[in-house]
Amino acid sequence: MTRNIHSSPSVRHGDITRPEPGTGIKIHFKDAKGALVKTIEANEGDDLLSIAHEHDIDLEGACEGSVACSTCHVILTPEYYDLLPEPDDDENDMLDMAFALTDTSRLGCQVKLTRALDGMTATLPSATRNMFVDGKKSTH
Amino acid sequence: MKLAIVGGGPSAFYVASRLLSRMPDAQRLRVHMFDRLWAPHGLVRYGVAPDHPEVKNCTHKFDQVAEDPRFRFFGNVNVGARSPDGFPHVLQLPLADLHAHYSHLLFASGCTLPALHSALSESPWCMPALGFVHWYTQHPAAPPPLPLHTLDHVSLIGNGNVALDVARILLCPPALLEKYDVPQSVLDVLARSTVRHVSIIARRGPLHAAFTAKELRELINLPDVAMAPLDPALLAVPPGVTASRQQTRILQLLAQGSRAAHSSTRKTWSLEFFKTPTGLDTAGPAPRLLLAHTALDAQQRAVPAGPAPPLPTSLVIPSLGFRAEPAAPFFDPALGHLRTSAGRVLGADGRAVRGVYASGWAAMGARGVLAATMMDAYGVADQIAADAVAGSEGPPVGVEQVMNPAPADDQPPPLVHDACAAGRVVQYADWKRVDAEEVRRGAALGKERERMRWEEAEAFLRGNA
Repeated sequence: MTRNIHSSPSVRHGDITRPEPGTGIKIHFKDAKGALVKTIEANEGDDLLSIAHEHDIDLEGACEGSVACSTCHVILTPEYYDLLPEPDDDENDMLDMAFALTDTSRLGCQVKLTRALDGMTATLPSATRNMFVDGKKSTH
Repeated sequence: MKLAIVGGGPSAFYVASRLLSRMPDAQRLRVHMFDRLWAPHGLVRYGVAPDHPEVKNCTHKFDQVAEDPRFRFFGNVNVGARSPDGFPHVLQLPLADLHAHYSHLLFASGCTLPALHSALSESPWCMPALGFVHWYTQHPAAPPPLPLHTLDHVSLIGNGNVALDVARILLCPPALLEKYDVPQSVLDVLARSTVRHVSIIARRGPLHAAFTAKELRELINLPDVAMAPLDPALLAVPPGVTASRQQTRILQLLAQGSRAAHSSTRKTWSLEFFKTPTGLDTAGPAPRLLLAHTALDAQQRAVPAGPAPPLPTSLVIPSLGFRAEPAAPFFDPALGHLRTSAGRVLGADGRAVRGVYASGWAAMGARGVLAATMMDAYGVADQIAADAVAGSEGPPVGVEQVMNPAPADDQPPPLVHDACAAGRVVQYADWKRVDAEEVRRGAALGKERERMRWEEAEAFLRGNA
């Protein structure tokens, strides 16, 4: 793989080790309508974008986890959102441009898992269709 | 489905990606992408600022798309109206050839022309931001380098992210750019630049700023570059107005100002809100940008509100957005881009043209970052797939039949096929060889990549370099 000297680490299959079933941190991924997509298990320190890719969940990561886009936007439930450190300026700059931003939105690449997050639900704000329904596109 | 895509930028690749991953195998899907540029990836290669290498990570996904055997890329092929200057080597392919050889057609041809300001015409003292971007990305249509070693003050008209990219490249200490994908010839010009101040002129106020917080933060954090402090009154939210999250954060950044204290640095920049150019006076010894104050009317539009003092300047760079080429098929002059509805291209009678679609900036105008382009592309791809399914069960969507419902083979049009054999057309495998060589040449110089021009790439591909 060609890496230039400045890109952030890329997020790909193979970067993640799956825990023994029953021992990992459980994360539920849901779609925009609230339907369960998949429940997966992950290790402490994994981020949501990487584990989504590891389990073929449709979460984009155009900039591959380098906080230069908003395509891995996820919506968390408030009780888990509050357990995370505050987003930094770079993440907030990107969240500004996310579709369907909520008060508990994060970039998946910036959510690092801890044991306390066991059982968390991450909702994918799939807004593809809304672009046409609204008839108005985001200006950014 | 045999789909021709006009344009090889991110929108084109995201549509192709979605279709290739979602379309049932039974559809016998084939996707052929045509770009008049020799290299793929559109604005990711020829638009994204060099100091934003992370944004270019999306090309890994585009490479995966190109690995699909149902996909082919043909660079150096200009579809339809003759291309403008800068493309003497491209193959001209009539649009009728795509009609004849494909069942579906997608225009993802972007917005490739600068929007102009009525009070400013191009002259030695006025060059659109697009020309500047073409210069630092070594686009085939790049103008000659600007004489930055003779300039002192640059005025940017408009305050979108492109304007801030240009400001950052002009103000950034050149040594900080050396490690990035900036051509050596560009670095040489920047190293000799004598530009000391950049004025960014916006017709509305901070609440309507077009830049994003990220771009503003980068400008504010440039080492040894200071921003002229703004009048705090400008940064107050008017009564009755609720600032959005993004507006609030931008106002905070503007109030905080640059990391470097004003008057402590050689290079400076300023934001000139509520001003609009009324002309460029080049009669005297140095050019003067003529300005008017503006105010907002009830619809929040900027309207002139009396003359403002002229601004002595060395160069004016309008950065007012982009439009599609008027000669493009289905171009709507009132929109500045193609006429579409839910991804379907509309004919002169306002009805959908069967099998013809548009996505990205060609369809929605020049706005939005990569995430918006991706979302739009996925929506258009889903529409193409849904129409194909609906058309197989009932009457096809759209009335006018311009495409060939049953193309005979998997080949591109004969003109393209022959030009491939003659080495005039760049296919994706060719590009990957050039890509690897550019990275190799860059590594030898301690940088991300050293770009090739088409002449160099052609020589390399022919084994002469």
